Amino acid sequence: MPLIETREIWKTYEMGATVVHALRGVSLSINKGDYVAIMGPSGSGKSTLMNLIGCLDTPSSGEYYFKDKQVSHMTDDELAVIRNREIGFVFQTFNLMPRATALHNVELPLIYNGTPRLNREQKARKALNIVDLGDRMLHRPNELSGGQRQRVAIARALVNEPSLILADEPTGNLDSKTGLEIMQLFSRLHKEGNTIIIVTHEREVATYADRVLHILDGMVDRDEVITVAEKSANGTNL
Amino acid sequence: MIVWEIFKMAVGALRVNKLRTSLTLLGIIIGVSSVITIISALEGLSQSIRAELNQLGPTTFIVTRFGLIRGHDAFMEALKRKPMKYEYLSDIEKGCKDCEKVAARSYIMGEVKFGNRKLKRVLIGGGTANIFDIVDLQLGQGRLHTLEEDQSRRRVAFVGATIAEELFPGLDPIGQTMKINNIRYEIIGMAKKKGATMGEDQDKFVFVPYSSFVRDFTDPHMDLDIFVKASSVERLPEAMDEVRVILRSVRHVPFEKEDDFGILTADAIMAAINDVTKYIRLGLIGISSIALIVGGIIIMNIMMVSVTERTREIGIRKSVGARQRNILLQFLFESLVLSLTGGIIGITIGVVLGDVLINLIKMQMTPSLFAIAIGLIISTGVGLFFGIYPAMKAARMQPVKALSFE
Repeated sequence: MPLIETREIWKTYEMGATVVHALRGVSLSINKGDYVAIMGPSGSGKSTLMNLIGCLDTPSSGEYYFKDKQVSHMTDDELAVIRNREIGFVFQTFNLMPRATALHNVELPLIYNGTPRLNREQKARKALNIVDLGDRMLHRPNELSGGQRQRVAIARALVNEPSLILADEPTGNLDSKTGLEIMQLFSRLHKEGNTIIIVTHEREVATYADRVLHILDGMVDRDEVITVAEKSANGTNL
Repeated sequence: MIVWEIFKMAVGALRVNKLRTSLTLLGIIIGVSSVITIISALEGLSQSIRAELNQLGPTTFIVTRFGLIRGHDAFMEALKRKPMKYEYLSDIEKGCKDCEKVAARSYIMGEVKFGNRKLKRVLIGGGTANIFDIVDLQLGQGRLHTLEEDQSRRRVAFVGATIAEELFPGLDPIGQTMKINNIRYEIIGMAKKKGATMGEDQDKFVFVPYSSFVRDFTDPHMDLDIFVKASSVERLPEAMDEVRVILRSVRHVPFEKEDDFGILTADAIMAAINDVTKYIRLGLIGISSIALIVGGIIIMNIMMVSVTERTREIGIRKSVGARQRNILLQFLFESLVLSLTGGIIGITIGVVLGDVLINLIKMQMTPSLFAIAIGLIISTGVGLFFGIYPAMKAARMQPVKALSFE
């Protein structure tokens, strides 16, 4: 059973008189434990696809199954529950609460599923330790470097032990050295059994994954497997 | 508890924007305090009138020539009525089996003198001795006049606190002789200080036996008020009916005509006052409510700005699993905390200001629980009413759009 499966999903936006087809019948399936990159140039529809996979949005038509559950017709609140329990997001711009400490930022998803305070704090500390920020828990985002902020975001994504970690250009706002550190962290998380999808437009980033879905003009153009040989050549075989 | 956590988020957000929060508070404080000032002043007014009327017991009613007059025409018509006569007292005593006591009272304005001290515009009252069993005149010192003193037309007087203070400073007035409209009266008793009602000094009076009053200050045809005490609260309606029948008969009111006199109870007087002042009260509350609505609009405006400003925050919260009601509650809590905090401060200011207003017209009041309850209900209502729309706007944001908001 695949973790996620889409069948012919379309996403159409109406902008005044013009109709834009952001996705034109995407069918894909991703298994538990996979490490997949979704790659494509800007405007290809990869962000739209990521929003749909992340249950931030619903398709105009087609079917989307998450753990065999039909997600395409769920209400806002049902989607919120899936996002809370099953999906951890990592964004290009980090999207942390600026006034909250690292610890509190990581606790946020737990607040919304009613985890009691002590338990919440314990889980958040554990997640921050996984991303090596055990000594920065009470720092606010503006007291942290870009790489540290992204690691707080990753800890927040991990804290609920989700079925899927979904990262949208996670290195886009980081310098190459810090970006490398973040990608190494993702590789480690994958080895520890997490399912990861990374959306990127950079080939170097994509080759950390085992599989690359190339999106072009709203469709899956190519489903490429990254060989160990290629990873070794790129230095992404971690 | 998710709700408690969300409440903490709301309070946290308000603390971050201190200036904005205090300006919003100011708006709601002005609104609530203006409404509460008016409500508690009106309540205080009503309390003092009620206290005044409570001097009449629940079993007492008053028969007067005029009754409750509403409007100029009714007044002109009532002026043609015959005065109430002293003989009616014995007619009622004889004919009314549910009446326990029947007393007479009448007033004129006059002046009092002691030595070279003089007071003008003093209420000079005369009453039968049993009036004291019906109306609580609140004896402070000395005594009231007796039935014998009334029958033998003795010149004795019971005086209000103002008379004692102004005419006899530093002296014990009891036993002194003063002149009422140039006739010498001996002071036998003094009333407790009552204060003022509607700016009218309630202590500037002298009270003498009815027969002395008639002989010295007026004539036997003087109009008077008849005070009747029914045998019990239950028998009050029957007593009133009996008195009405007796008076119609002795005053020769034709069968088809209306009463040419009025029968009043404390409740009826209160109801009449409330009725007459109804529109004034509604008007005052209405005008003061404008400030409250402005306060509400300020809350709404600030919340709208806040929701827009925090679109990205809302997106983040939704992406990690906040449901619509979680977001709704967060913003609703913000407006509720604002309006309730402002409300509580506003109620305090309003109750104090209302008290000051009541003191200005020389009356006393106890803080009105009614005004406080109304204040709390109003401020909760304002917070909910003006907060719900911005909160719903926040709750219904689409996560994708909210996250990409710049």
